Amino acid sequence: MISIRDLYKQYGEHQLFKGINLDVSRGKVMVLIGPSGSGKSTVLRCINGLENFERGTVTVDGIEISAAGAGSYDRAYEENIRKVRRKVGMVFQQFNLFPHKTVIENIIEAPTHVLGLQRESAVEGALLLLKRINLAHKIDSYPDRLSGGEQQRVAIIRALAMKPEAMLFDEPTSSLDPEMVGEVLAVIRDLVTEGMTTVIATHEMGFAREVADRVVVFDQGEMIETGTPDEIFSRPQKERTRTFLSRIRE
Amino acid sequence: MKILLRISLLFIGLCALLVWVAPSSAGSSFDEIKKRGYILWGSDAEGGAPYVFPDPKDPSRLVGFEVDLANAIALELGVTARQSQNAWDSLIPALQRGDFDIAMNGIEITPQKQETVLFSVPYYIYSEQLVVRKDNNDIHGVSDLRGKKVGTLSGTVAQEILTKTEGVDVKVYAGQVEPYEDLAIGRIDAVLLDLPIASYYGKTNPKLKYTGDPVGEGFYGIAIRKSDADLKKAIDRILLKLHSSGELRKIYEKWGLWDVTQKGLAAKINPSEGYIGVEESKKAPLYTFFPMLLKGALITVAISTTSMMLAVALGLFLTLARLYGSPLLRGSATGYIEVYRGTPLLIQLYILYYGLPNIGISLSPLLAAFLGLGMNYAAYESELYRAGISAIPKGQMEAALSLGMTKTLAVRRIVLPQAIRIALPGVTNDFIALFKDSSLVSIIAMVELTKTYNILAASTLRFFELGLIAALLYFMMSYPLSLLARRLEARMKQGAR
Ligand SMILES: Nc1ncnc2c1ncn2[C@@H]1O[C@H](COP(=O)(O)OP(=O)(O)OP(=O)(O)O)[C@@H](O)[C@H]1O
Ligand SMILES: [Mg+2]
Repeated sequence: MISIRDLYKQYGEHQLFKGINLDVSRGKVMVLIGPSGSGKSTVLRCINGLENFERGTVTVDGIEISAAGAGSYDRAYEENIRKVRRKVGMVFQQFNLFPHKTVIENIIEAPTHVLGLQRESAVEGALLLLKRINLAHKIDSYPDRLSGGEQQRVAIIRALAMKPEAMLFDEPTSSLDPEMVGEVLAVIRDLVTEGMTTVIATHEMGFAREVADRVVVFDQGEMIETGTPDEIFSRPQKERTRTFLSRIRE
Repeated sequence: MKILLRISLLFIGLCALLVWVAPSSAGSSFDEIKKRGYILWGSDAEGGAPYVFPDPKDPSRLVGFEVDLANAIALELGVTARQSQNAWDSLIPALQRGDFDIAMNGIEITPQKQETVLFSVPYYIYSEQLVVRKDNNDIHGVSDLRGKKVGTLSGTVAQEILTKTEGVDVKVYAGQVEPYEDLAIGRIDAVLLDLPIASYYGKTNPKLKYTGDPVGEGFYGIAIRKSDADLKKAIDRILLKLHSSGELRKIYEKWGLWDVTQKGLAAKINPSEGYIGVEESKKAPLYTFFPMLLKGALITVAISTTSMMLAVALGLFLTLARLYGSPLLRGSATGYIEVYRGTPLLIQLYILYYGLPNIGISLSPLLAAFLGLGMNYAAYESELYRAGISAIPKGQMEAALSLGMTKTLAVRRIVLPQAIRIALPGVTNDFIALFKDSSLVSIIAMVELTKTYNILAASTLRFFELGLIAALLYFMMSYPLSLLARRLEARMKQGAR
């Protein structure tokens, strides 16, 4: 469903990726781990076109984004990126709820303005989703009245309201107080059980082990090791993987 | 805190010093003039020919019949003459304040002015001349002016005559060049002004002509402070001497100002006979000025609000062009903002109103005021919006894009509403500033509140009472906005909404 081929990406002078290949099949869960600055966020951002790249392709459900033409505005390219974004939802570390809109407005914003849904049916759908995460009573609250955990759950619902075929999570629990991590992971766990194609960048190793079909270890822009959770966490092959895991377990 | 205290103490000290120093510079009497060796005479070189104006051959030198007259008077006093530049409108208040010894600049002797200052015997008899375009055939005198737009100078007898003639749409200017220019390009139908002015600016213009005989008759006198009776006596004596020796006539002939009327000067110049003022008018009660001031205030409100709307909309366009436009659009918007912020509003207004006609675009005063203020403030609003937009975290745009929104939709629905909330207190403050800056449009023949005040105060010399009323009106208009701005700021601090 998602496939990355020979991806090159640099920030200014700094060459981050030198040819990355990665595949996620429909209904599978891939977890990206690795030290800070290793490129996990960048992979996710390349998948839904928030970041452009110099070489290679990203294909989502048959729609291909290739390296952007240098600086020039390319209509077809922009169109493809938008098609991909319709299929892939994204959840950010910082939640990024719209602070000037209530919970319900946050959720129905894209369905009404992008999909062209009637407000009533969009609200109906949003309410169903909110009930699933037990936040139906907060529909008229503004984001700054919600706890971090509640905000991130609403952000997940907001992405789901667009009926995506895959979800990207960029460290969804890293900005949360520890007692709220559980409620967010529970929502993701539910999604995964329902068979949502998912890519998660996370430092929650326990959760990674539990939900992942495949785990990819990044270091300095390289994919140093790929395997099942068991392979990576119990029998890591590479020295760098072992160093990373031991540091994180301390 | 301590620093603040020190600064305020310093400030108070400075004020005290100023108050203490001020009186010594005021009230220079006849003896002082002799002691210091020169007489300071106030006039406005911007007022122009043939009174006092920069020599076209050497603009660093002033010439004019009044320059000659001042030199002749100084010679008789045994001193030299030094000109002191002062806006014509406020020559008399400046004289009273002690800025110079005498004021001589085509100042008409009127009973109102005589309440506040002394006048020498007349040195010139003027009348008012009507000037129209060459192709005009239906205006032959003041009685034909009903329903016409007629230009004149602020605070002149001509203005009084026009105001008293029913149905005339009087356009009041601050300088004497502009009314004739506006007449030539058809913004107004006629100009009524003192003959010396008409002879210099009207007659010389190939597009214009005199119509009808000069009307009214009045006297130019030298204004002297009430406390300087001895100075007045000396100057009267000198004027009499200059007249009988034929020197005065020589000066007037040199400037082409000698005509039959001046022969009558002999009778008027004899102080013992005295002379009649132009108009008898009693001191009107203050409330009679309210309707005019209120009308001025209404025009101020109308100009300010409409040009603010333009500024808000155009500013938004500039911001979007700068942040999201093509390179060309981005460059033009940036250039626009830099130019408008880097040049004075006053000059922008002059170019719009008096400059554009040179390339064939003639705007009405109202349109020029609206465009001038609006286009200027748009540059400032744009900066406020830009600051607002850059205060929005990048994640907002990314979240919107990741939900499938186009960039345009994301800007419109997500980024701008938040940015505007941030910019709103600043925009409100700018509105207050625009309210006050709108007084600048008085230079383009727009009679708003400040101009109304100028006109009323210059003709009645009641700068103080009328000034307080005008200031109060401004305050009443801007104070609610201040309150609003403060509330918006408080709300901003409370939360993102
Ligand atoms: N906008 C940017 N400009 C320049 N360099 C960037 C930018 N974004 C990321 N980088 C660099 O790219 C590298 C990879 O960053 P990335 O955010 O993908 O890492 P990460 O694995 O997600 O790290 P973390 O665990 O801290 O989120 C880092 O060295 C970072 O400094
Ligand atoms: Mg990251």
